Amino acid sequence: MKTVKRGYVQEHYAPMPTKTTLFWRNFIPWQIIRFFVLNLKIIKIVVKGHS
Amino acid sequence: MARVVVLGAGIAGHTASAYLRKWLSKQHEVIVVAPNQYYQWTPSNIWVGVGRMSVDQVRFKLAPLYKRWGTIFKQARCTSIHPEGNNTSDKAFISIEYTDPERKGETEEVWYDFLVNATGPKLNFGATEGLGPEKHTMSVCSYDHASQTWNKLQECFEKMKAGEKQKFLIGTGHALSTCQGAAFEYILNVEHEIRQRGLRDMAEIKWISNEFELGDFGMGGAFIKKGGYITSTKIFTESFFIERGIEWIKQAGVYKIEPNNVFYETLDGEYKKESFDFAMLIPAFSGHGIKAYDHIEEDITSHVFMPNNLMKVDADYSGKPYEEWTIDDWPSTYQNPDYPNIFAPGIAFAPPHTISKPLKSKNGTGIFPTAPRTGMPSGVMGKIVAQNITEWIKTGNPKMDHRASMGKMGAACIVSAGYGFLNGNSAAMTVSPIVPDWEKYPKWGRNINDTMGEPGLAGHWLKLSMHYMFLHKAKGYPFWYLLPE
Repeated sequence: MKTVKRGYVQEHYAPMPTKTTLFWRNFIPWQIIRFFVLNLKIIKIVVKGHS
Repeated sequence: MARVVVLGAGIAGHTASAYLRKWLSKQHEVIVVAPNQYYQWTPSNIWVGVGRMSVDQVRFKLAPLYKRWGTIFKQARCTSIHPEGNNTSDKAFISIEYTDPERKGETEEVWYDFLVNATGPKLNFGATEGLGPEKHTMSVCSYDHASQTWNKLQECFEKMKAGEKQKFLIGTGHALSTCQGAAFEYILNVEHEIRQRGLRDMAEIKWISNEFELGDFGMGGAFIKKGGYITSTKIFTESFFIERGIEWIKQAGVYKIEPNNVFYETLDGEYKKESFDFAMLIPAFSGHGIKAYDHIEEDITSHVFMPNNLMKVDADYSGKPYEEWTIDDWPSTYQNPDYPNIFAPGIAFAPPHTISKPLKSKNGTGIFPTAPRTGMPSGVMGKIVAQNITEWIKTGNPKMDHRASMGKMGAACIVSAGYGFLNGNSAAMTVSPIVPDWEKYPKWGRNINDTMGEPGLAGHWLKLSMHYMFLHKAKGYPFWYLLPE
């Protein structure tokens, strides 16, 4: 018999990424841009972090 | 001539000794005392634990590097600190015991003008019955543990290939463990490796943690801008798990492990049991139990160290309640209040309190993460300690101009979620500051523009580039000092 799970368990209340979201997470041109954005964000934090 | 002794060659200690040697002229001595002959880039141990990197890719021998730099290296452990000297001399010194195979067991007294205690954590497996690689669970806290863990993981792969289902339990192995980020990274990598081998249907993967909610990571969680909302890292972390079919147990204080069973207490005061075939659980951390003595050989350990054996520094240890915590409680110079020529950057310093709210079960057991301070913050602390000592030696004045409070500095935590240049994944997280500043940022505790969480391949590239960049820096390759901590 197939078990049917509908709600009322903690796993059902977390957001599940859509196919489009997953596509962007591995879409190389977009990820190259994000790579540089992440680097800039981290450099900003490092520079501000200590005096 | 001044002599600086650095205890430890991890991220904080190695960073401190590297800059001290670079900034101080050769008339001054820099001595490193560390029990291990290797430096290890600890964040990459995760990849050793899933077989994506060899042990030799994450470590290198310290002695040749220190010889090249002109740093004196003693492969030994510090057993006691004598900050006032003894009855024959008022010169401060430490007692060490060699771990170097050629001098094993030999002891020596090493005098110092400045002492940097960067001994990092003692992996306190003994605090949980049955925990650790010598008992019933695995660890990725050091390269040798990670290597053993990879061997055990391969055995599970073989069993699954033979049709035997396996249950993986990954998370924290003590009610007060920290480093949830490392366990989070490991569980995502294990899931990725199982999926890559087409064995996902044969594996039940479960997270167990002392966090009140997922995404706490010992920092009280964080708020990030995501999908048009400002949302909590709880949602971000749960989404990672639900996407991968990973179940979770939270608010769990693990107190005992038996072969194939973990016993834990919940914040509700219930005692529960969870079975496993493979468990990787992070232990509690403590200091290394170094003793301290005054000039008449009286034990002053409790003046210099907190009860958890971590060193007292310029923090507020008054034990004020959670509601009164501020970022000013946190240290910024890592200088010992009684002995100003002693510093303790990295995990060796005693935090004034946790960052996450301390919570107790109905039975009175504290179940909450202790404060993380690995990686980037440790490197920054090591650097500013080196800057302050260098200026003190050069000018003769303890100006302490350089500061790095966890209530002011940010941190990046790049969690690899699967190895692969094209099909890898990650959760890239930044927080600023590490300790929430509710006075400056009353709504979210942190600068919402500098605090972020982003899944994707780019973070994996970043993590991989950090592996090579930080090893380049640690090995003292050309222009190492231009690279950030």
